[in-house]
Order: sequence, then C-alpha cells, then structure tokens
Amino acid sequence: MTDPDEALEVARRAAKERRAAGGYQGVGGGGALDASILDGEPSRELLAEWAVIDLDPDEFVYSTRSAGAPVTALKRILVRLLRQYFVELEARQTRFNIAVLARLDALEGRAARERPGPPTLKD
Amino acid sequence: MDAESFASVTPRAVHQVLSSAGPYDAVSVQALLWRRLLTERGYGGADHAVAIDPRARAGFAPVKALAPAPGDLLVIRYSAYSGQLMPALELPQRKLLVYHNVTPPRYMWNHHAGVAVACALGRAQMPLFARAADVAVGDSDHNAAELRAAGAHRARALPILFDPARLAERGNQPAGEGPLVLVVSRLAPNKRHDLAIGAFAAWQREHAPDARLLCVGESLSPAFRQLIEGVAKRSGAAGVTIAGGLSQADLNSAYCSADVLLSMSEHEGFSLPLLEAFHFGVPVVARPAGAMPEVGGHAVLWDRDDDLAVTAELLELAARNPVLREELARRGRAQLARFSYEKTAAAVIEAVEEALG
Repeated sequence: MTDPDEALEVARRAAKERRAAGGYQGVGGGGALDASILDGEPSRELLAEWAVIDLDPDEFVYSTRSAGAPVTALKRILVRLLRQYFVELEARQTRFNIAVLARLDALEGRAARERPGPPTLKD
Repeated sequence: MDAESFASVTPRAVHQVLSSAGPYDAVSVQALLWRRLLTERGYGGADHAVAIDPRARAGFAPVKALAPAPGDLLVIRYSAYSGQLMPALELPQRKLLVYHNVTPPRYMWNHHAGVAVACALGRAQMPLFARAADVAVGDSDHNAAELRAAGAHRARALPILFDPARLAERGNQPAGEGPLVLVVSRLAPNKRHDLAIGAFAAWQREHAPDARLLCVGESLSPAFRQLIEGVAKRSGAAGVTIAGGLSQADLNSAYCSADVLLSMSEHEGFSLPLLEAFHFGVPVVARPAGAMPEVGGHAVLWDRDDDLAVTAELLELAARNPVLREELARRGRAQLARFSYEKTAAAVIEAVEEALG
C-alpha cells in the first residue's frame, strides 16, 4: 500500500482483522474527556453544580514565569490572608446563583403547568 | 517638499492589538512575524495586548498604551473576547480584522470557567468586530466563512505567515529511543489529547512496544495538565511525555526526531503544526477538523473514523511504510509551496494597503 488515499481503508481492514484475532480489546472511539465536553446547553444538574462557588487556591493560583514557584507561593499566601474576604465573596455569589436557579425552576414549572395540553374531543 | 510627496515617503504606522500575548501561541507568533515584515517594508507602529504573559513582555506593550495617530491602521487580531479590546473599535482609525477563530465554549465550561466565558463572549461579540472592520480576513477559508456569516461580507482568507527560517535552529533532542509520535498543540480540551493518548496506547500495545509519545504545548491550566497526565497514566502506555511549551529550537529537534505527527483535535482554525510537519517531512495522521483539510490537502492520512483502533493502524502505516512515508513527504512539500512565505507576505502587505485605504 503506497497511496495515502487508500490508507484509511487499509487501516480499517487491519483493525478489523486484529480485533477478530483478539486484539484491540477495550479500544473504541471514546476518550476520557467525552463526558466533560458539553453537547448543547448545560443541564439543570450541571448548573446546580456550578452555582456553588468554592475554589481551592492551590488549584487555581499559579504563575507562568520561568522561576514561578516563589511567585506562586506568595500568591497563595496572599489569598489565605484575604480568606475572610474571599469566603464572603463566594458566599454572596453562591447565594445569588442558587436564588436564580430556584426562580428558574419555578418559572419552568409554571410554564409547564400553563402550556396547553393536546386537543381533546371536547375541543 | 510638497505635502503630497511628503506623505508618500512618510512611513505609515500599523498597530496590532491582541487579547493576549504569550511566548508560544500561534496568534502572538503571527503578530511578531507581521511586525518583522511590516518593519522591513517601512511601516511603523507597535504591538499591544490586553494580557501579556511575563515571558512575552519584550514584544508587546499594554493595550492601554495604544495611542495611534489619525492616519494609522489598527490590526485587530481576534481569538477571544476581552472587554479592553472594545475601545479599539471606537477609535476613528481604519481597521483590519484578522480572525484566528474562537474555540467553542462547550469544550471549556468544565475545565476553565474564565476561558469558557471569554470564548462564549468572543463568539457572541465577533459580529461587532466583523462589522466595524474596514477589511476582514480569516487565516483560513473556514475562518473567513465564519466572518462572512458574522457580517463581514467581503471577508477572505489570508493564511498564516509561515516562516521556515524559524525552523532552522536546533535544540535538545527528545529523550529515549524508539518510534516517536509527536502531538503539537495547546493542552486544551478541544485538542483531544485524551484520544491521542488512547490511540498511541493502542498502537504501542499492538505494534510498537518501544514507541514514545511527546505532547508539546502550553496547558490551559496546571489542573488540566494534571488531568491529562492522569489520562496517560491510566492508559497503560509507557514512554509518554507531557512536555508543556518548548522553545522553538527544542521543538524543531522534536520534529527532526519524530516519526509521525498526530492530531486528534476537534476544532482548528488553521493548524500551523501541519505546515511544520510538512517542512520536516514528518508524516501526519489527523482528524479532518475545521480548517485542517484545506491546510493539509492530500498530504495527510485523514482519520475520518471514530475508532482509535483505526487511528492506531494509521499510525502503524505512517511510521513503518517507507514508500507511503516518501509519498506523504512529497505531497507535504507540494502543499507547503501553497503557503510560501513570499506568497503570504505579499498578501499581508496587500491587505494592509487595502485597509489603509
């Protein structure tokens, strides 16, 4: 096989033959990130998860400088020193988020109740 | 000297504005290459960015320092939303919009909220930029089509300025022995390193136990890098290196050592690594995502299936079939000629002159 245009077909046949011989066990098309990539709008459950703001500074505070370790350490210390302030900030944002979600649920419930049903014989 | 002839010899200034500047990303590298070309052709101006990585401070000034003169041109490079880019739209100077595409936010929501927001707003606000530009170009037909859909009716493609001189220097060789699969792209969810690792692990298990995988590219965040390192560990593959960003010299040496360039990316506005692989004669196995088919043409083994076993077999063909490798290298050289520096440089100057009016 020397033609690149034929390569995909050759690869398909080879994969099939290997599978028939017991190879490629557990190999499919999916990847570890599949579930984390949204397919459309975020679900109600995901919104509820996002609504609660609770950050770990060790995960989100870092430096991209070439000798960034001391800078990262300093930033993390500063965040800890300001912890009272950040906890309050997170709490207020979370309060707003869950109140909006509750309002959204109520509106969706009302819309569902008021949506006209299918026509009946009486109509 | 009368006013007319004075104007004809006065160098005009072209200022570039970016949302962020970094040491390795394609948008920043393009801005620097354009600057070199513009300087060579007698244009003045400077390059500004909203967010500047400390490693890129030499080439870029803060956007707040942007102070163009009345006849200057603003080149706005659009790849993500930034509130501080908006005032540039209000400036009276003529504008050339260069659209590098914006990653769909669905890839980012669960991995980096800030980047996801920038992507979502970036896509939502792109029409404002498209309509405000005097001239709009995308670095591929794929991107130009998005610009036209956003309201820039005469948008056209202006490819990445590909400078082979950058690929001449050599640095450190990748460690180890055995066939080397190279993945060159930002460590981000849309690039699907998880699939690349899965395909590599399958190939290593079935065909090439001594094979190595080298992933080069800055990570979206330290947490995302840890996630991908975990994916690599769980795949059971040996010889996997998540290298982060490499200097150009080290990257060039990696290409020289590579047997295959692999891309499982699902969203590409251009894909410079394809041209780099063609330059080095490295066979490419890739998914035909976004602009990749127009950049890669018939010089790539396109993986159109959703089956990593097929990807593994394509890796086997690309790495071990010498006649196929030679044919891919020949096609790569032919494809590369379409993106020659001279050709694109002329198109850049043409776009700049058109935008200057």
